[in-house]
Amino acid sequence: MDAASLLEEIRFGYGPRRGAVLAADVLDVDRVLAQLTAPDSAGATWDRPGMADRFALIDQYNRQKKTLAGVSSAVAAALKQTVLDDDATFIGRPAFADAGFVERLVNLWANRITISNASGGVLRYYQSFRDEAIRPHIATRYADMLRATLWHPGMQNYLTQTNSFGPNSVAGMKKGRGLNENLAREFLELHSMRTGFSQTDVTELAKLLAGMANDEKGQRVDVRRVEPGRKTILGLNFDDIDPEAEINRLVEYVALRPETAHNVGFTLARHFMADDPPEDLVAALATTYLAHDSALPPLYRVLLKHPAARSAARLKLRSPQEYVSATLRLLGLTEAAAAPVMAKLVRKFPGALAAMGQPPFRALRPDGWPEVSEGWLTPPMVAARLDWAVDLARRAGDRIDPVDMAQTALGTYASPLILQAVGRAEQRWEGLAVLLGSPEFSRR
Amino acid sequence: MTQSLLLSRRSFLIGCSVAASPLLTPVTFAAAPGENRLVVVVLRGAMDGLDVVRPLGDPDYLNLRPSLAADAATSLDLDGFFALHPAAKPLMPLWQTGELAFAHAVATPYRQGRSHFIGQDALENGTGGADGRLTAAHDGWLNRALSVMPGANAQTAVSVGQQRLLILEGESDIQHYFPVEESTLSAQGQALLAQVNAADPLFAKPFAEAQALAVSSMGEAVPKGGVDHAQLGTYVAEQLLGPSRIASLSLGGWDTHHSQARTMAEQLTALSDMLLAMKSGLAGHWGTTLVLAMTEFGRTARENGTFGTDHGTGGAMFAAGGALKGGRVLGEWPGLGDGALLADRDLMPTRDLRSFAGHALRGLFGIKGAAIEQAVFPGLDLGADPGLLL
Repeated sequence: MDAASLLEEIRFGYGPRRGAVLAADVLDVDRVLAQLTAPDSAGATWDRPGMADRFALIDQYNRQKKTLAGVSSAVAAALKQTVLDDDATFIGRPAFADAGFVERLVNLWANRITISNASGGVLRYYQSFRDEAIRPHIATRYADMLRATLWHPGMQNYLTQTNSFGPNSVAGMKKGRGLNENLAREFLELHSMRTGFSQTDVTELAKLLAGMANDEKGQRVDVRRVEPGRKTILGLNFDDIDPEAEINRLVEYVALRPETAHNVGFTLARHFMADDPPEDLVAALATTYLAHDSALPPLYRVLLKHPAARSAARLKLRSPQEYVSATLRLLGLTEAAAAPVMAKLVRKFPGALAAMGQPPFRALRPDGWPEVSEGWLTPPMVAARLDWAVDLARRAGDRIDPVDMAQTALGTYASPLILQAVGRAEQRWEGLAVLLGSPEFSRR
Repeated sequence: MTQSLLLSRRSFLIGCSVAASPLLTPVTFAAAPGENRLVVVVLRGAMDGLDVVRPLGDPDYLNLRPSLAADAATSLDLDGFFALHPAAKPLMPLWQTGELAFAHAVATPYRQGRSHFIGQDALENGTGGADGRLTAAHDGWLNRALSVMPGANAQTAVSVGQQRLLILEGESDIQHYFPVEESTLSAQGQALLAQVNAADPLFAKPFAEAQALAVSSMGEAVPKGGVDHAQLGTYVAEQLLGPSRIASLSLGGWDTHHSQARTMAEQLTALSDMLLAMKSGLAGHWGTTLVLAMTEFGRTARENGTFGTDHGTGGAMFAAGGALKGGRVLGEWPGLGDGALLADRDLMPTRDLRSFAGHALRGLFGIKGAAIEQAVFPGLDLGADPGLLL
């Protein structure tokens, strides 16, 4: 893969890596887009088990649980380790990535279409959701991503779709159970349209989705939970003959609605450009989305070609994940020689990220982590960023020239103020702490 | 509250020795060095020697320091010419028993700039270059001393503190311990962070509130650095009661561009606590111990407009220990009058700081003068023995 420029690393990646040769500081649209088709080095290095392997482990756990001997320590430990390794991946992939844009997109879409372990039970699925529902679709059609995420066991579990019964279905009548609208609502309100639908549409969609299942037995519709009869959603009729095909037809229809196009365009523009993104960009993205049958790569091209993509003003704030990853990349802690420091830091990631407002895999709400700066700027969150800056600088900052580091991190974007402040620290590591704890380092 | 915090921090005790080294051969291991001990404290940030060891006998001094020397009357007379900063009073008993000395108007050879980073590297590397450029191996002079020290082994030297010290880095194997979670930022570092955060419209307010939180949650300002310096001194002493004979550690916070009176008092209290805890911890072995505390450069002779001082050249070095022939201020005083200052601003250095360290190594560990002038401090002229040791 061709070396990226500093601007590409800052605005469309996770910041420059120490020692990496950078291209001249311009934005090369084709070079950034080439990342989408390059070999997936971060995914390969930080390979995680897919849902099939996870189900095998969970199945083993469940079977042993029913025996007298209980769950073996080996199985319990394997499950625990799986989650720990998933946690490490949350920082590991962006920190080590060659293709920063790819990782940014994975995290952006995994946040727009969120699953979370905030209420427990989702951790075992979480990484597979990112790897098998999000990652393969960042450069396909948004409609495909919506379908894959809707059906993923993690989503089914998180938004309690497994509890939804058609009130007039065989199982619903027998058990006296009814609809759970959770997934139907968030699908329309968060994942796709955001506006332009009614409560009736939500209820009708919940009826259509009743019976969806995806577990160790595979993806299917449980006919015993299917609500009989016709559903009318957004003025379109869906029947009960082939529920799986009908659900996918609904997804396709919703994906291509103008409201969804606007939501996707707004999401992209706000994430990369500004909390209040340029309206012309959002409009251009929405138009492109509809013109290309929801294909995402053409949107990325529009995004990258917009003047805001090349602006020297860095209006966005790095999320805690982006911030921590950027600090590790800047310090070259992604190299083998840094293994001892990294080994100590890996255990600190989840706690540090939580203090900064982003506990990995545990977004508080179905709308995900904040996408605007204010969401990361409470005093305790700012204090947590500073703690990370000081702690990391103290561990790793005794052999570097902090002014050089400021040049590497910020290049021509560095203000005279930050260069002077970093150079005036009385020790190297303190100069690095000033750099990492500066707003300029947190901006992108 | 502070106490329990420190106790819990003790549990962070981590020791690690560097991988196998040529020094760990049976031959070199067999011979253990003697009973003499050396501690080198790197005072980071450029200690103002003119404030610590005040030349009250110099007619120009008080004029240069209108606010900083306002407490001159409470300075502690040393020899009729020099007087000690009042905050170092706990060290006066050492002066009276000949276990404390100073070298004044000393500096490393670094002249082409006043950068902390380059200055500290030059101090620890021991380079003779006026530009502060490191010697080829980018190692530390105390590490090179190990390579020419009769009987030295991998246990001989220990670097204490979370930061690895360049002064002990290099080919020779050393120990590295960090017994406590160490300092947060120095006052200067905190001021710089506050400055860059205040300049950003998004961060200014939450940063200020975060700082207020940090103060109020403790009911009082967080103790400086959060480090118990006496504990650090005790820990160094414990190391030297074992197989180690050389220890190095650093103490930051000396960069006093403003409000120097307050910061200097805190710094000298910390340094005094550390030195006295070392003496107490070493007990009978204090008599064969020398502590040298040195800084990258001195500070401007004149105080600046913010009741502080800026980066200078000539400075002062602390020496303490029972092995010392103390009660003296060593060095040749250059004066502070017209034409006496370097570039009309800094105390003129009259002796290479490295020669004191070189003579100490020779006296304590039997390293030959030629080895010191070639291997430890390449190009150094040791010069006349200042008679540092008993």
